[in-house]
Amino acid sequence: MAKKRQEGEPSPVKPIKASRSASGLPWHPVWRWLVSLLVVLHLTAVFCAPWDLSTQAALPPGYRPPTDARGQPLIPSLNDPVWQQPKVPRALRSFFRRYLNLVYINHGYEFFAPDPAGSHLIRYLVWDSGGQEIVRGEFPDLEQQWPRLFYHRHLMLAAQTGDMGEESGRRYAQHLLRAHGGKTIRLEWVHHKLLSPQDVREKKPLDGESTYVVLATIQETASGGSEAPVSILGERR
Amino acid sequence: MGMFSNVRNHVAELWQAWNRFWFMPTDPATLSLIRLLAGAMLFYTHLVWSLDLQAFFGPDGWLPLDFLRRIHTLPDAEHPQWSVWSHFFWIEKPWILWCTHIFAILVFFCLMLGLFSRVTSVLAFLLAVSYIHRVSPGAFFGLDKINCMLAMYLMLGPCGARYSLDRIRRLRQGDTSPAQPSTSANLAVRLIQLHLCIIYLFSGTAKMMGENWQAGTAVWWSLTNAEYQSIDMTWLANWPALLVVLSLASHVTVFWEVFYCCLVWNRFSRPLVLWMAVAVHGGIALFMGMITFGLAMIYANLSFLKPATVRRWVDPLAGHVSMMLAGSK
Repeated sequence: MAKKRQEGEPSPVKPIKASRSASGLPWHPVWRWLVSLLVVLHLTAVFCAPWDLSTQAALPPGYRPPTDARGQPLIPSLNDPVWQQPKVPRALRSFFRRYLNLVYINHGYEFFAPDPAGSHLIRYLVWDSGGQEIVRGEFPDLEQQWPRLFYHRHLMLAAQTGDMGEESGRRYAQHLLRAHGGKTIRLEWVHHKLLSPQDVREKKPLDGESTYVVLATIQETASGGSEAPVSILGERR
Repeated sequence: MGMFSNVRNHVAELWQAWNRFWFMPTDPATLSLIRLLAGAMLFYTHLVWSLDLQAFFGPDGWLPLDFLRRIHTLPDAEHPQWSVWSHFFWIEKPWILWCTHIFAILVFFCLMLGLFSRVTSVLAFLLAVSYIHRVSPGAFFGLDKINCMLAMYLMLGPCGARYSLDRIRRLRQGDTSPAQPSTSANLAVRLIQLHLCIIYLFSGTAKMMGENWQAGTAVWWSLTNAEYQSIDMTWLANWPALLVVLSLASHVTVFWEVFYCCLVWNRFSRPLVLWMAVAVHGGIALFMGMITFGLAMIYANLSFLKPATVRRWVDPLAGHVSMMLAGSK
């Protein structure tokens, strides 16, 4: 049984464990082989996720798509076997999929790529059962959401709406109705366009009305009833 | 026979180099510094969720659970993927939500301070992944990827060996022996380094596909995004020479990211590559309002600092703290 050290008594300096191999490395070669294997598997997994996400299916060289009645080329659907899939990255990512999800490394790491784009906002207007306006707002909103990271979470909510489909807009609408005790809500998903240097030289403001494009509008009631989202792509406000 | 011998020698040398790269014990100073900084970032990131915890993590918030789990379900499957996991999938009552959140905040706080760090580093990783799966897709971004990456590798090594309350606790118990060089500290730091190389490689190659990165206008478009910008830089439009500098910055960023995985290993080019990281991510933090993401990337880049360099910078301050708390350096 180890002797208990008295208070204030300095501990003896721990000797470095004697090396078990000729290389002078402290871990046993078998242990190093095993860890090496795990390292290779892990790094392959880390690599294959962005590799797969950065690759695209391609049409064969010289492929001539069929044309419609007006002579316009018909691009084959994604399920069409004519597409050449990048088999190796797809297979690797599929093999590691569960591991990639488990440890949250299933990413493409495409920061501001392939191109920086404008950002998205969500504007909303909530009415009570008598048709009176309760609240009007938008997110992200620097005046409402502070600190910056909290603002950024709301910026992401608006940005990732597109990835999640139109239902996400309805879910946001239901949440806002519950949060404000409203009966009906009108919610707009808005794209905020960027200005070129020429636009800036022409004194166009970054938040000018013409820079906002409403991509979709949702009308929702607290009972869960909703009208189909009205897509008015391209309409300028 | 000669050729066979040459191949055998080459393989043996390769195996030795591999062993030196991964398994040579190293001072845990670099890993400990990353723990301190990444722990602080994890603590802050999760503290900010407290501002509207119910809305982001409650079952009926922005991203209702049934909706999110449907997104987590593959097209040909009946059930959501089990590998996309979160303890929030089972929490309905607000008081349980808050109790688990307070527990998580305490874990991240302990990791930052280096208290019970071998345990808290494992818990911090599990919690960080659990939190972010609940809001992915929806509210995640690059910061969360880097937070989880750093937390994952911190738990592999003795991240509390230096600059920690664990160290001070040992000093107070009379254990004045210096932190031992550690193989697992080296392994953890090497994994951060290589993961970072992969991140930059694909971030760079993805940018190479972008027309605006090719045209050299991407930095302009990034800087003038009204929802991101924290400092208005649109005045640059009136200075053609400065627009050329922005254009150059776009091209340099792409080349730096693509070649990071090669140039960072060379001792002559490493300082330049790392200072570029400080400039790029510092710029993102300063001009694009993403202070947390910019800092997290800089913290990850610190993995390329030698332990001796870290000790030269951090030990004097850490020594003062130790003197105050334990009466010994």
